[in-house]
Amino acid sequence: MIEINNLVKVFDKQTVLAGVNLSLIEGEVKVVMGPSGCGKSTLLRCLNRLIEPTSGTIIFRGEDITKSEVDVRVLRQSIGFVFQQFALYRHLTVLDNVTLALRKIRGMNRIEANEKAMHELSRLDMAIHCNKYPSQISGGQKQRVALARSLAMDPAVVVFDEPTSALDPIMSREVAMLIKKLHHENVTIICVTHDLLLGRHLSERVAFLDHGIIKAEDTFENLCNNHSDPQIRSFFECEATLA
Amino acid sequence: MSEWTSFISDLLEQMPLILTGLGKTLQLASLISFTGFLMGVGVFYLTLSQKTIIRRLINGYISFFIGMPLIVLLFLMYYGLPQWGIKLTPFSVAVIGFTLNVGAYNAAYLSSAFNGLDRSELEAAIAQGFSHRQLFSLITLPQVLRLSIPALTNQIINNLKDSSIAFLIQYTEFFARVQELASTNFQFFKAYFFAAMVYLFLVSIVVVFARALEKRIMIPGTFR
Repeated sequence: MIEINNLVKVFDKQTVLAGVNLSLIEGEVKVVMGPSGCGKSTLLRCLNRLIEPTSGTIIFRGEDITKSEVDVRVLRQSIGFVFQQFALYRHLTVLDNVTLALRKIRGMNRIEANEKAMHELSRLDMAIHCNKYPSQISGGQKQRVALARSLAMDPAVVVFDEPTSALDPIMSREVAMLIKKLHHENVTIICVTHDLLLGRHLSERVAFLDHGIIKAEDTFENLCNNHSDPQIRSFFECEATLA
Repeated sequence: MSEWTSFISDLLEQMPLILTGLGKTLQLASLISFTGFLMGVGVFYLTLSQKTIIRRLINGYISFFIGMPLIVLLFLMYYGLPQWGIKLTPFSVAVIGFTLNVGAYNAAYLSSAFNGLDRSELEAAIAQGFSHRQLFSLITLPQVLRLSIPALTNQIINNLKDSSIAFLIQYTEFFARVQELASTNFQFFKAYFFAAMVYLFLVSIVVVFARALEKRIMIPGTFR
């Protein structure tokens, strides 16, 4: 479904992505981990062209989406993005947060949009909070609304950028279970995180990104115990100890 | 006591003219508040342009009109432009001059409020597929306006008070009529005190409306 080949991003003179290769098949959960500043968020933002890659290709459903003729607005509608800080529109209610794009981008009327939004909110147990504002709900609930907002657009893939970093351990577990539930519903997911508990919960395998390249892709066990690179072992051992 | 009687008698005598002046003050203040608001929103929109040249030009506009005293601008237009063959009525000069000035201030207020927005919301909207125009009208502007209400309503109060300088370009508004009243009976303190009370009353009405508006549009669970 997605194939990233030799993706490079240079900001001024600083190379953030130095040739990333990664692939994702339909229905898969791809977990990407790595230390802070390794380029995880930049990689995700290249997927929907929030950041323009310097070179390399991203093949999404058979088309290279890095080409200038690609309609980025259409592309973005097929990639649901869930942000670290939830990024809900604070001046809108939970329901309006979910319906806004349906009405203004998809052209649905208010009744259709509300119906679709309520379906997604119910799926994530948030229907009861539909008339509240983001400031009136908890962090975990905000993350659910952010997810409902993405899912309402029927994206081909949902991208999570550090979904638990702003949450306490209980809410983190709640979000982890939610993502797992989506996976069982055959939603294709990419999740970047440095939360080892979340990573382990979502997938047996993990891609390790460091200094702008995927240095390894293997099971957690192998990366932690058997990998030849001591830095990678140390990262996962350290995380495992903390976990 | 006889001074007050005489003053009130003159005031009542000139009341039709004073009321006409008051009407003109309200007309000018309302119109420049409206046009200045639209101008401010338009200029603010351009400050967000992705083209550096546009942003620079707009920032130049804001700095120029905030930096230039309004009275100089009005004199330049009213007394200076006729030398170039452009003759405008006092009302036109007042509306254009105030709009340019108030628009610059309003744009600056909106820009300050924009700096307080959570950028992740804007990024989320772009990630959802909104166009830049939709981003502005659906996400940025509603939030920025909400944050700017105190500053924008203060500007309306300033417009009301500052409209009095329009009498210097022959626009016979309320203050010009009070000047006439004062010069007929030489009761300067009483005349200007009367003017001050009228302005205070009008400003109080604006303040009451502004506070009601702030309460009405405040997002539940927040302080703004």
